[in-house]
Amino acid sequence: MAIATAPRASVREDSIRRPGKPGEKRFGLGRIVAFAILILLAVTWLLPIAWAVATSLQTEADAGSAPVSWVGETGVTFAAYAKLLAEGNVPLWAVNSVLSSVAITLITVGTSAMAAYAFSRLDFRGRKWLYAISIASIMVPPQVLIIPLYYQMLAFNMVDTYWGLILPQVIAPAMVFILKKFFDQLPVELEEAARVDGATRLRVFWSIVLPLSRPILAAVSIFVFIGAWNNFLWPFLVINDTTLMTLPVGLQTVKSAFGVQYAENMAMSILAALPLIVLFLFFQRQIIKGIATTGFGGT
Amino acid sequence: MAPPIPREGPMLGRRTLLLGAAAGLAALGLASCASPGAANGAIPLKFWHLLSGGDGRTMAELVARANAANPTFDVTQTVLTWGPPYYTKLAMASAGGRAPDLAVMHAARLPGYAPGGLLDPWDLDLLAEFGVRREDFGDRVWESGLYDGDVYSIALDSHPFILFYNTDHAAAAGLMEGERMRQPRDADDFLDMVTAMKEASGGSGLSYGYVNDGAQMWRLWYTLYLQQGGVMELPIGGKARIDDGPAVEAFRFMQQLVDESRGVPNADIQTALAEFISGDSGMLLSGVWELPSLQAAGIPIDAMPIPNLYGTPAAYADSHAFVLPHQNDVDEDARREVYRFVAAILKDSFDWAGAGHVPAYLPVTEDPAYAELSPQANYAEVADIINYDPPAWFTGSGSDFQSLFAENLQPVLLAGADPQAGIDRFRAAVDELLSKPNPV
Amino acid sequence: MTTTPTQRPPITGAAVRPPSPKRPKRRDGLAGWGFFAPFGVLFAVFMLWPIGHGIYLSFTDQSLTGSGGGFIGFANYLEAFGEAEMWQSIGNTLWFTLLSTVPLVVIALIMALLVEQGLPGKWLWRLAFFMPYLLASTVVSLIWIWLFTPQLGAINTVLTGIGLPAQPWLQDPSLSMVSIVIATVWWTVGFNFLLYIAAIQGIPEQHYEAASLDGAGKWRQLFSITLPQLAPTTVVVVILQVLASLKVFDQIYQMMNQVVTPSTQSAIVYIFDAGFTGYRFGYASAVSYIFFAVVLLVSLVQFRITARKGA
Repeated sequence: MAIATAPRASVREDSIRRPGKPGEKRFGLGRIVAFAILILLAVTWLLPIAWAVATSLQTEADAGSAPVSWVGETGVTFAAYAKLLAEGNVPLWAVNSVLSSVAITLITVGTSAMAAYAFSRLDFRGRKWLYAISIASIMVPPQVLIIPLYYQMLAFNMVDTYWGLILPQVIAPAMVFILKKFFDQLPVELEEAARVDGATRLRVFWSIVLPLSRPILAAVSIFVFIGAWNNFLWPFLVINDTTLMTLPVGLQTVKSAFGVQYAENMAMSILAALPLIVLFLFFQRQIIKGIATTGFGGT
Repeated sequence: MAPPIPREGPMLGRRTLLLGAAAGLAALGLASCASPGAANGAIPLKFWHLLSGGDGRTMAELVARANAANPTFDVTQTVLTWGPPYYTKLAMASAGGRAPDLAVMHAARLPGYAPGGLLDPWDLDLLAEFGVRREDFGDRVWESGLYDGDVYSIALDSHPFILFYNTDHAAAAGLMEGERMRQPRDADDFLDMVTAMKEASGGSGLSYGYVNDGAQMWRLWYTLYLQQGGVMELPIGGKARIDDGPAVEAFRFMQQLVDESRGVPNADIQTALAEFISGDSGMLLSGVWELPSLQAAGIPIDAMPIPNLYGTPAAYADSHAFVLPHQNDVDEDARREVYRFVAAILKDSFDWAGAGHVPAYLPVTEDPAYAELSPQANYAEVADIINYDPPAWFTGSGSDFQSLFAENLQPVLLAGADPQAGIDRFRAAVDELLSKPNPV
Repeated sequence: MTTTPTQRPPITGAAVRPPSPKRPKRRDGLAGWGFFAPFGVLFAVFMLWPIGHGIYLSFTDQSLTGSGGGFIGFANYLEAFGEAEMWQSIGNTLWFTLLSTVPLVVIALIMALLVEQGLPGKWLWRLAFFMPYLLASTVVSLIWIWLFTPQLGAINTVLTGIGLPAQPWLQDPSLSMVSIVIATVWWTVGFNFLLYIAAIQGIPEQHYEAASLDGAGKWRQLFSITLPQLAPTTVVVVILQVLASLKVFDQIYQMMNQVVTPSTQSAIVYIFDAGFTGYRFGYASAVSYIFFAVVLLVSLVQFRITARKGA
């Protein structure tokens, strides 16, 4: 019996169709034009990052002097990167990003899965209302809550703390919605059988439901992780201490004492971009599937 | 029977998740051990400021020297973007109670911070222990740091708006009196001097950059306004007091100053600077902080406070001042080291004069070596006549007040619009700000 | 003895259980609450309470500094409704939404259609178009500020190189919104691109085979099969895009060099400025809820339009 994994269409890795649409010549003019446009678009899209890399590999003097060029007058140098990794806070910010993103992902996925399971399988008083409220809250953009949330942080004395950074970011009703839909279509026989054998709900959840849900859990985790890693607004508000900042916030807030440093700025940008890009290069298939799956569930 | 459980791949199995969590916790442990400065016993101090460029370089050197000379503390400086980004983050950090140990603020911004409890007052006795006392500061500079009887900011400098001039052009125009340029008798005389400078330089008589720069406009205008005895008051919940007579006259004078018969009529700050640096202009009206660029250009310059054209000696200035952002749990040892650090910087602030500023710590300016500094020594006396922005929660360097000034009054200079109408518009805008409750 | 829990039948695949009579006793009370509680507590503390407290704050003059906090009735709302800058920020937000949604949908569709032609190099397209989406907003803003820099920026260098005048991309208030939209399109088109790819791959092959047997050419297939089949996806993409654009803060705040410019600031930027730079939590809260109402209104309008179309 096939178990439906992701709802809707999945993104297939390789095209299992034959190249081209039916009834089409393989090297027709249309395809050549399409290919040309595609190349043009791809180059245009890659240029900004390429330019950023090129600038980051110049000396500060070269980067800041007109006319600008792909390679600086004094050639290619990793000086900007060396400086960033040796001085300043970039490594520290990277650690903060890792810790907070992992924590947010674990807590979000964990609590959302449990809640989704409760909504899907368990019968308890108020279940309908609670589900309705949770889903309704998807309509509330987190941005309109920044004032009362910050007030709350002040009141709880959580400004400039890890928990103040993490906890407001773990609420993801959209993920509860997605996970519940998935659990709904898992056949209950497996769980029923285990329950008959005396397993507790928790054991059933952990040993049967979760393993069966690997694909959706992976998708949700990826989506949440990327969102947490790149999140700017809330970390920017709640963290003022430069040693607690995540990469996006540190990049934006802390400036050089020497004025605008172009090569350094670009090197910092590339360093900040690298972790997710490297992850993408290794886990392309899962990431794309994850985005495509959960993307329909809400941003 | 249950079908075989499909395996999606080992990547995100439970095992991997648990390993990831364990790694994360381990990293957490490592990170908390890696706090800087814990090794050698020096107390780490966090110091925020908004100085960059030449000022940033100089401050970085001062901090490095202070660290080297004082093994009991280790100061790390953090620079944020000048203006609202800095001030907003400082306020948020102070409200949160885990603010940096020390910060620099413009003294005129104090009314936006001290009343709200965002700053902790300085302990004068403790300061005196490290050799910094009330007598070490000029009156006006000291008063700028007071609120409700307590001292909330200790000034590092005052940075007024002054007049630079090219000594060669001044000599050619016959305006020199001994080593220095002569003082004008009144406003019209000064305009004649500018015209003479224009002929001597072959370019402009006077460079003044103001386009799209509310701060520059405000600084000159406010100086001229005060020189006429004008008073500006901004009572919360009331109406702004702006004396029309001096206000309009100040604009009338500025319109003549930037008239094309005397110079470039629509320069922004960079254009004016570039013109003066290239020697195409006789005079430059700008802040003292431009001095390093001027000196680096190698032109023969001197400087003086803006001449007293209307009778009352006055000049616009603001100060970079040290403040103690509010902390919920004050570490007394760390605070003590902050005082030591501030004292060290103040005593070492001779180099800060090199950046053009007038050090606030009098022992530095009264030192014979300071008299040798040219042209700084020639305008240091301006500290006695400086005026800060009229106190209100929305004034001070980098505040909306100065942008409001630009919005309403730039057309007066740029397009010859009617000054009175512009003043009225400005007054109305300020009144609207005043009608809002004081949020501090 | 097996008992059937009261639950909705699964959506696909598995056997459907006969519905049980509704029982008054909730059997899984403890387990249910136990599983729900972690999410529930966090949800109550960090979502429900701020929503409610935010409404309360909007009726006070609470300040960031802790002062204020007294009840002032509708004063904040009245002030907000009369404040030109507030309306301008909402207008800016709507303008940004319009300017960015159109290219973000159209370009993504074109990209997906081109890529799904079965041309070689799939990995390159995916990398090129989607990679920017993985960048943090700060990175995007830093890169584009550098590209848009007046003299040293690459874009103006290219423009002047081919004889066109250099533009004050981010310095001119009338141009800055366009510049920010350009950066935004580059940044987030990859997301819509992926959604379209998934949808295109879901179109059954038989449609095309049947059409080509009937003699329909490529363009005909595009307009008669592909685009109509993609209509539901387009609806979803547009809805998601509009809702995301309304909430814009990051790139506007970052690329305007963090100085408040009434002509470009979005609603959230205005709220941030009023609440954190201006200290006025009460007033900013009121504006937040006014803006929330605008978002709900837009959602409602969208829902109405799509419901009518879909029905």
